[in-house]
Amino acid sequence: MSFSTQSVSDNTLVIHIGETLDFRNADAFKETVHAPVDAGKHQFILDFSDTDVLDSSGLGAIFSLYRRVAAHDGTVVFANTSEPVRVVVELTRTYKVFPQYDSVESAQAELT
Amino acid sequence: MDERLILVVEDDATLRELLSYRLESHCTVITAVDGLDALAKIESRRPDLIVSDVMMPRMDGFTLLKELQKQKETRAIPFIFLTARTDEDARLTGMRLGVDDFITKPFDMKQLVSRTKRLLERVEVFSNRLDTQLGHDFSQRLMPTSLPKVPSYELFVRYEPNQQGGGDLLDWHQLSDGRYFVAIGDVMGKGLQAKFYAYSFLSYVRASLRARLTDTPHPADMMAHINTLLLSDQVLTDTFASFLLLVWDPEAYTITFANAGHCRPLLVDANAAHLVTDSDLILGLTPEATFEQHTLELEPNTAFVAYTDGLLEQPTIGGDTLGEDGICRLAQDAFSADLPVDALWNAALDASPASTYNDDTLIFWLTRTTTPSTALTHVSAPTDANTEA
Repeated sequence: MSFSTQSVSDNTLVIHIGETLDFRNADAFKETVHAPVDAGKHQFILDFSDTDVLDSSGLGAIFSLYRRVAAHDGTVVFANTSEPVRVVVELTRTYKVFPQYDSVESAQAELT
Repeated sequence: MDERLILVVEDDATLRELLSYRLESHCTVITAVDGLDALAKIESRRPDLIVSDVMMPRMDGFTLLKELQKQKETRAIPFIFLTARTDEDARLTGMRLGVDDFITKPFDMKQLVSRTKRLLERVEVFSNRLDTQLGHDFSQRLMPTSLPKVPSYELFVRYEPNQQGGGDLLDWHQLSDGRYFVAIGDVMGKGLQAKFYAYSFLSYVRASLRARLTDTPHPADMMAHINTLLLSDQVLTDTFASFLLLVWDPEAYTITFANAGHCRPLLVDANAAHLVTDSDLILGLTPEATFEQHTLELEPNTAFVAYTDGLLEQPTIGGDTLGEDGICRLAQDAFSADLPVDALWNAALDASPASTYNDDTLIFWLTRTTTPSTALTHVSAPTDANTEA
């Protein structure tokens, strides 16, 4: 399963997460972000509007992305966080690292 | 089973077409015209099996097999030679090179298909068995073989690894003053890789923590230390772990803990169960993470219950996951059982459409009793189970 992405500026990429990000597609997520990070995209907006499932493997894939972009002072932010995703973010205290926004637009406004 | 990929290497175009036509019924087939062409094809896409002619222009089958054996990534690909019935020399050379099978020309197509199938199945079975065995070995080593036995306390642990699961771990150590240091953790990821990481990580952390175990261990400082280890070590790049580190003082009835992104433990008594909410960020994510420690008092007839996300994420019949609310409810019900950890374990399975846990699952249940004569330890594990009373 692949992820649809949208470049919104020179260094910002929006990724639409879809219904699930879990052990089945965590590797596909890592592959999706690999090339853009190497090409200089260091700000990522993850759109969770359709997401029902985010498990620890999925979260691990996001952590990998964060580790990669953090080395370039980059950021990963969450937009449209759905209820299941909010629960995971709350439990793992990862809101301390991934700023949460109501929409992709408001995340974009903050990043530029 | 995924569609298997077979590479057919044959210079005769007619034979090549015929082979791929017949093999396509149960596999995906790619072809190469000689050894050099095969090497290029293998470079871009690694096949699960190679069926190769011996005599070919530019690079023959023997040289191809030798080349593949030079590289770690290609050495183990099963290899079948197509040889002429009369060519004993070729068979001997092939055997010396470590070929897996021969099929003689002119060949029986049925035989070819059944041999390739069998070889693929054998590889599959072997690698699965190896995975299961290794996963099991690692899992066993991530758990202690015994538990501390302390007056006025009952300690129950239940653990079950899952082949597809991650790396749950539990370690404990008695300090010189009679207190106990306990580490409960979960290394992120699934399957054998996570178990392998969890295992190397536990050895690493265990050594590092024990070296830092002073008379006054400080869980929050230790957490910061592990975080730094994870962030600075090249081998552990992309390893993330949640940990609950605690110092249990049986005589003072206290538990001093730091929680780095781990499932939130509970305090349970006969009337209520509530979450111990203080926690910090998971380890391995950022050097800016800070960790706090908290001390809670364990009243008589109260239990401290910690668990890993296998329990939290277990699906329920309603299509949801058990979650913290579900765990609180079931733990409350389990409190008065003789073996509360088993009662909680089974209740969560009863509430689930599945008959087993989908992930590694660990429950650690420590009850302070009212009778000083009690000192019960009970481990429920699939193997090496031991019960002491």
